[in-house]
Amino acid sequence: MVYRDLRSFLTKLEDAGQLVRIKDSILPEPTIREIGRAATDLPNGPAVIMDNIKGMKGMQVALNVHGSWANCALMMGLDKNTTVRDQFFTFLDAWDKYPGEIKNIDSAKAPCHEVVIKDNINLFESIPLFRINKWDAACFLSKACVVTKDPDDPDNFDTQNVGTYRMQVLGKDTVCIQALGFHDIARHITHAEEQNKPLPIAICLGNDPVLTFMASTPINYDLSEYKYAAAINGIPMELTKALNSNLDIPANAEYVLEGEILPRVRVPEGPFGEFPGSYSGMRLQSIFKVKTITHRKNPIFENLFMGRPWTEIDYLMGLNTCVPLYKQLKETMPEVVAVNAMYQHGLTAIIATSNRFGGYAKSVAFRLASTPHGISYCKNIILVDADVDPFNLEEVMWSLSVRVRADKDVIVIPNTPGMPLDPTSFPAGMGNKFIIDATQPTAPDGLLRDTRLIDNPDSKGFEKIIADLQAAAQKK
Amino acid sequence: MKCVRCLHDTAAKFTEAPDGSGAWEVYGCSRCNFTWRNTEEQEVINPELRDKNFQFTGEPEDLQILVPVPPLKK
Ligand SMILES: [Zn+2]
Repeated sequence: MVYRDLRSFLTKLEDAGQLVRIKDSILPEPTIREIGRAATDLPNGPAVIMDNIKGMKGMQVALNVHGSWANCALMMGLDKNTTVRDQFFTFLDAWDKYPGEIKNIDSAKAPCHEVVIKDNINLFESIPLFRINKWDAACFLSKACVVTKDPDDPDNFDTQNVGTYRMQVLGKDTVCIQALGFHDIARHITHAEEQNKPLPIAICLGNDPVLTFMASTPINYDLSEYKYAAAINGIPMELTKALNSNLDIPANAEYVLEGEILPRVRVPEGPFGEFPGSYSGMRLQSIFKVKTITHRKNPIFENLFMGRPWTEIDYLMGLNTCVPLYKQLKETMPEVVAVNAMYQHGLTAIIATSNRFGGYAKSVAFRLASTPHGISYCKNIILVDADVDPFNLEEVMWSLSVRVRADKDVIVIPNTPGMPLDPTSFPAGMGNKFIIDATQPTAPDGLLRDTRLIDNPDSKGFEKIIADLQAAAQKK
Repeated sequence: MKCVRCLHDTAAKFTEAPDGSGAWEVYGCSRCNFTWRNTEEQEVINPELRDKNFQFTGEPEDLQILVPVPPLKK
């Protein structure tokens, strides 16, 4: 796991046959979205770089960088064929190495400052922008690391937030940002607005893949995404100072847009094709003015195509939704074995757990529904036994088929918090919790007939032998 | 000029292709913040052909605010 920047990861992907280049002359719309959809639909879909876009010749767009399990495995330094379950446990081990080291790079020497533009800012001249989905309101930045600090606590490195928020380009130097009430950045905006002060912001595009991954991971407010990225990458996170503020930014970003969120102003934003596979509506959101654009020489604009699931965002938010939820459950409920919350950022989650006593699995569901992320996101919660792999949907369906009796195993808790972008959340922000307990009853619960499961033989050794034989057979 | 989404006379051209090829121009509406490129599909940039569900017929100030503006602190 040694990627200092996006470029070194793209080289790794290319060496592993997981990156392709499209050299044909293409129109920004609708062709870029067609390419994004195709890349993510292919088995083990590759990243794609385009550099011959009409009107923007030579400017580079990268899509689908995280868009397959093969690419995610390579990001974590694993063989590209690693199973999702093994990727989950590898990520878990790396997670425990928090905090990683920070290395400060002199601003004048930071690659992200190779080119500095302060006058006549025009985002369309500097970045090959495109409309992602047909009914999006404009060109959006969908894969940026957005950096802000708490104006009430400006010297605290750990509450500095690095998050991924969608941003709508409104004009040459104005951008609108979607903040939702429970987002960390909303706290920073609120604190700045209480004092009627502009909030410095840095939009960092094209980062090392693990930082992008961590920016979309729900972690506690006072933990640093940078230190997590360093821990998971296994090398120090290289940061530098922004030119116009005290913000710490990734020194190796492809682009950095520096600006200020205007206090107490809201403007129309959206719609935008969102992660549930549907468009979000129009809302009033915060706006910022870009004062400086800096970038590397020959910068690469990395963006995210989002369509009906699965697309790149489902890979990007897959394991990083699972691991923090697992860690939070495990703190008080050591019986939990694994968490698969890969479905639309955890709207549906499957937990493998032992049943300490009758009904215990349902308590695990209540715990999930009261984690910071689970409160609004986790609405469909499935509990399976400890010996069931929650990442293997055939095994999960087996559990539902032979272990669920709906009259005692299914519960709906009405009118709980909901995720506003979920189309079933109505009014936006309200929802319910649906719990299916597919674990075997444990005393004193005993409503299942005495059942003897078939034991699995010790087959791991032969898995490798047969896989190698099959690979050899396929080469013939 | 007329915005293709809200149909108010609040749109203008604000930039063109940066490589000097004249390949396209970009327009934006200062009222509803819709922007478009003149090379996009007709059903996106022609108001007659646009899906009615994605037209904006309301007033900007009536839209929902997700992060409310807090009271000022003294
Ligand atoms: Zn308009």
